[in-house]
Amino acid sequence: MELAWLIPVLSFIAFPIIVFWGKRLPGGGAPLAIGAIAAGFALFWVALLGFLAATPDTEHCLTDAATGTLACNFQRAWFNAGLPGLPDSVALSWGMTIDPLALAMLGMVTLVALMVQIYSLGYMKGDPHFGWYYACHALFAAAMLTLVLADSFLLLYVAWELVGACSYLLIGFWHERPAAREAAKKAFIVTRLGDVGLLLGILLLWREVGSFSMTAAFELAHSGEMSHGVATASSLLMLLGAMGKSAQFPFHVWLPDAMEGPTPVSALIHAATMVAAGVYLVARAFPIFQYSGDALMAVAIVGLVTALMASTIALTSTDLKRILAYSTISHLGLMMLSLGAGGYTAALFHLLAHGFSKALLFLGAGSVLHSTEQQDIRHMGGLRKAMPLTALLFSLGAMSLGGIPILAGFWSKDEVLSAVSHGLHPVFIVLALVTALLSALYMARAMFVVFFGPSPESEHHDHPVHDAPLAMAAPMVLLGVLAAGFGLISFNWPGSFGGIGSFLFYHEPEGFHFTWWLGILSTILAVAAFAFGYLVYVRKSLSLEGFRRSFAPAIRVVERKYYVDELYQWVVDRVVMVFSRFIALFDRAVVNDVLVNGPANSARRLGVAMRLHVTGHVYSYALVMALGAAALAILWWWRVA
Amino acid sequence: MVPLTYFQLLSAALFAIGLYGVLARRSAVLIVLSIELMLNAVNINLIAAASHMDGVGRFSNFDGQIIAIFVITIAAAEVGLALAIILRMYRNRATVDVDEINLMKW
Repeated sequence: MELAWLIPVLSFIAFPIIVFWGKRLPGGGAPLAIGAIAAGFALFWVALLGFLAATPDTEHCLTDAATGTLACNFQRAWFNAGLPGLPDSVALSWGMTIDPLALAMLGMVTLVALMVQIYSLGYMKGDPHFGWYYACHALFAAAMLTLVLADSFLLLYVAWELVGACSYLLIGFWHERPAAREAAKKAFIVTRLGDVGLLLGILLLWREVGSFSMTAAFELAHSGEMSHGVATASSLLMLLGAMGKSAQFPFHVWLPDAMEGPTPVSALIHAATMVAAGVYLVARAFPIFQYSGDALMAVAIVGLVTALMASTIALTSTDLKRILAYSTISHLGLMMLSLGAGGYTAALFHLLAHGFSKALLFLGAGSVLHSTEQQDIRHMGGLRKAMPLTALLFSLGAMSLGGIPILAGFWSKDEVLSAVSHGLHPVFIVLALVTALLSALYMARAMFVVFFGPSPESEHHDHPVHDAPLAMAAPMVLLGVLAAGFGLISFNWPGSFGGIGSFLFYHEPEGFHFTWWLGILSTILAVAAFAFGYLVYVRKSLSLEGFRRSFAPAIRVVERKYYVDELYQWVVDRVVMVFSRFIALFDRAVVNDVLVNGPANSARRLGVAMRLHVTGHVYSYALVMALGAAALAILWWWRVA
Repeated sequence: MVPLTYFQLLSAALFAIGLYGVLARRSAVLIVLSIELMLNAVNINLIAAASHMDGVGRFSNFDGQIIAIFVITIAAAEVGLALAIILRMYRNRATVDVDEINLMKW
């Protein structure tokens, strides 16, 4: 189990090697990155088996009082800030915590990253910066794996920022395109806004706890010795960081624009790394959130608002990748909502199930874009015949997220709904059901329009549309199997380990619970949504024109994404820029002209004045010399007298 | 014996004439001549002082003469150097007027 530290380190090592020697390596360095992450996936199993065999008596392991689960902690000294032994010094350590939460994330990140990297072999083939692409992927995966293994908030923050930097590199990977550059900057800056909150939250906790150790902080919260105000403030600040990374309202604006990156990158960002980090952070710091209580309510409200808003935008978007992006935002909102309702297991289960389904959907969308070079669903249709495998797998992912029974998304979404109905006010469950319905609707829309609807007449392609090549198809098939069957691990199968709830839980192991009325209701909603989508987009027997006409103003608001981008633009133009102009004036007038150039100018003026005595006439020097000698003589005279 | 004050007055007068020459003359050659005059004024002063030192007989203390000999030696070297400079100056600028030689200024 201790070998788990190698999981991120292998990918970290791959990064510089590919950057410096990628051109000389076979396959442009891609096999190295894939090998590193594949080894990481293999080591995940080693760690998992080691963890399952561990008991509280095993060395390094104990039952964590704050979370109620077994946790194994491994540490190495990092450095001392200050002199060791003195009261003000802080000893920092590299450390990793292996507990069910970390293992679940490790498994998903390594698997999805591996699938995405294999897929990219086909998708990015022939790209001029092929090696750099894989180097960034390796670093991205390494950063995310460090993040989930970190046992201290400081290490988590380091990895957190590294994830942000890698997302910047990968979203702006096609930096020749201005839109990609803008999107990369937007993603970096918007997530940065949240990161400031995270840093402040961590520092606040440090002041209260006296160390960066997560375990110590959770102990303090669990025992009730932490000040309630500090717990609320620091968890709200951390929530800010999580909202930035997980693209929650109002920081969601970067995620749809991040679609400018290569599609496999979107799959990685949306499923395994980046956006999962926010949900992971809230789940990791759950003892503090729960101790605060108010913070948990804030999580739930943020999640609900985000989920509703994003799912309506997804319904009106016409860009295939943006539909998926808004769907991600909406589902992340559901996870936050579930965490807010105390549904720890449900949220993480949904994180995993959504991760596999969304990775599959993005890889499917990538396969479509790769062969049609088209992102607008209004120009697509009937692709089922040209690319049957992609159509099958994409539909599987769409139905899984839409909540069609037996598929992974159905079980996890029901867990979420059930947690929400138990833990929160009835308003939340009603709105969550609306979100579920909308989620099924936009998934049905994307799937039916692209693959089953009539193909647009005017379209003719320069090259024939083809199905995914092997390198792209194989990862999709594997993710398809997971999207279909992953939900079944929630059952307590005879002879198995007892369902996900007995592994990944907070305080109390949870058996599989299925709220019948919710399950039936959500199934009806999902099936109705898909049937509705079929009638509207394939059979064309229902028309939405009348609906569109009578609700035109409302639809326009949704189509313009609730004017959030415009609001940001206004704030930047009117507030930030005006303030910056003032600062710039201050900088030029006071800092530059007075403080920096001021001394320089006076020195120059003094020099100009002083150089006038240098006349170049030999007799003026002689005169000064004579006068000087006379003055000395007079002084000497006085001294003597 | 001529009183020391007379020598000192002569020396001071010669020094003042030399100083005036250095400050007022424009020709480099005359400036060098004036410097020589000032040096000789100093020499007169030194030797007169030496000859009036208290002691056994005249010139019982040689310090003044020795310094005067040093001054003469250095003056000879200085004239050689100064004339060489003036010669180069004349070769380059076709003049020895120090008003014209004013490149080393602001």
